[in-house]
Amino acid sequence: MSNVHERLRRLLFLVPYVSKHPGVTVEALAKALNISREDLLEELDLLTCVGRPPFNPDDYIDIYVDNDRVYVDLDQRLFAPPRLTPGEAAALAAAAELLRPAAGDALQSALQKLERVLPPSTRERYREMYRKIDASADAPQALGPLTRAIIERLEVTFAYATPGRAPESRRVRPYELLSHRGQWYLQGFDHMRQDARLFRLDRMEDITVTDTAFLPPPDARADVPNPARSRTETSVRVRFSPVAAPYVKERFGRDARPLADGGVEVVVAGDSERWLTQWVLSFGGEAQVVEPASARAAVARAARASVG
Amino acid sequence: MERTERILDLVALLLDAREPISWAELREHFPSDYGGSDDAAERKFERDKAELVELGFPLTYVQGDDERRDGYIVDRDAYYLPEADLTKEELAVLYAAGSAALASGAFPGRDDLAHALRKIGFFAGESLPTPRVRMELGAVQEGEEKEVSARLEQLWDACAARKWVDLTYASPKHPTATQRKVDPYGLALRRGVWTLVGHCHLRGGMRTFHVHRIREMKVNTARPRTPDFQVPEDFSLDAHVAYFPWQHRFHEPMEVTLRLSGALASRAGSLLPGAMLESAGEEGVVRARMRVSFLDGLVRFCLALGPDCRVEGPESAQARHKEMATRIVERHEEPHEKVSA
Repeated sequence: MSNVHERLRRLLFLVPYVSKHPGVTVEALAKALNISREDLLEELDLLTCVGRPPFNPDDYIDIYVDNDRVYVDLDQRLFAPPRLTPGEAAALAAAAELLRPAAGDALQSALQKLERVLPPSTRERYREMYRKIDASADAPQALGPLTRAIIERLEVTFAYATPGRAPESRRVRPYELLSHRGQWYLQGFDHMRQDARLFRLDRMEDITVTDTAFLPPPDARADVPNPARSRTETSVRVRFSPVAAPYVKERFGRDARPLADGGVEVVVAGDSERWLTQWVLSFGGEAQVVEPASARAAVARAARASVG
Repeated sequence: MERTERILDLVALLLDAREPISWAELREHFPSDYGGSDDAAERKFERDKAELVELGFPLTYVQGDDERRDGYIVDRDAYYLPEADLTKEELAVLYAAGSAALASGAFPGRDDLAHALRKIGFFAGESLPTPRVRMELGAVQEGEEKEVSARLEQLWDACAARKWVDLTYASPKHPTATQRKVDPYGLALRRGVWTLVGHCHLRGGMRTFHVHRIREMKVNTARPRTPDFQVPEDFSLDAHVAYFPWQHRFHEPMEVTLRLSGALASRAGSLLPGAMLESAGEEGVVRARMRVSFLDGLVRFCLALGPDCRVEGPESAQARHKEMATRIVERHEEPHEKVSA
């Protein structure tokens, strides 16, 4: 799309937004439009030159900044934004599909209402474009109650099944949900560990939203799990054949060290023997643990058990 | 007058007009913009009109009669966004998902999505939910996000306008990149990876391409408003994009039977979606039958699940399972010195 198109869309939203929020600060308006303060002031300058023939003083948009707040006195009928275009509605509907399994009825009704605010002439085009993005990801049902708990700032309890151990009961202040490579995680303050922790949603059971309210810290942000960047005492060196190397390079980037034979080597956190073993086995013989010997033995044991 | 300003002036003029505005009147109102030769002026106005339509501006030309003159008119009711009356939950879903998609740095129609979020939030006032859902896409390395985002945006425009793309594709299966002309039918997200599905002119059939593996891409710019291809009515993205490794269309599909026991038996449905499940006649043992078009993908998945997942048949699948497991054993029983040789 051209810069002119983007700018026009922004400007057609800007005037109604200020009409609806008279006295909005320059900073808040720039944030709402996702542009810099300087760019916003430039847009406001342009809008003062916009009007309709015969271009008498009352025919121009009267928009101005006073004491760092923005006001509009004459909007020239730009008091509401244009309807959604088919592309805008299609992109939003496709994004909403990301939460389909967890959103239940709310998603279905939201999409119906979305379609209703489209001009009737463009609905067919919207349906056609909507079919062109399929983002129906594997969001688990647990997203529903957890999203609600995060928005309403309520603590949750659940049983957490750590591999190899009996499920433990946890009480957590939920801060953020994170999807990474198709795996969903909850980040929150764990009362048991008295620290922020990341929980996999597929290991949670019996999620309950409690009545206990909390105030989340303003900067709570989960770290993306990356076994090659985790700091643990036991590291495991794994080598991959030239066949598997391109895929491992895609996954690990500069953390994958090239080898002379065309393969690559990765050092990963070795604090979960179960995870490591599963991961190495999933390469079907194209991956080999170099060290430590205990991890090599664990992989050999697991593969032998599979042969039966 | 710059183009942005002229188009906004046109919007203001047309939204205020009670009568159709003729081309002659428009030229009078904007003498310096639509001056010059008739042809040049008309071409310029055609381009402005196309932009107005792109913006969703419901502009039509009416043929005059005894009561009304010829000219352009706009349906004001169709222009303004009506309130969608979204409930708190509906707004939360749209906002959480939309913001997560935007924040992921790579979503097709990113600009469209950003505008849509602003618009649906217009009537919400201060009650806009704070999204606390984040998505990190897989297979996109640090520093590559911008490139993938730009490719997705180009592909979204090409899909919407139905224009072919010329791409340089680097598949890990091949040592060198290939050049292909592709009719883009759509984009699918699976496990954090964006896939382009379309008709590949080089291979003469439907193919899928991981967007992060596209090295270079150009969209056909000839006749931008005329589509280059039609998407078949019955086309479905889901039918072409693998979700699980055994669904990659590398071979003719075959039926494979797995035996799941122990803790895996109760999870068989979620581990192997689409498989036909039945009791194996033993307590706590489930048999799963499934169609597989990439056997090695399934065997590797089974190995990762451990000894509670076994391949029952056919024999070729059993043999492959055994072969891979034996290879892993051999590679991990070698003395340490040999490993680094």
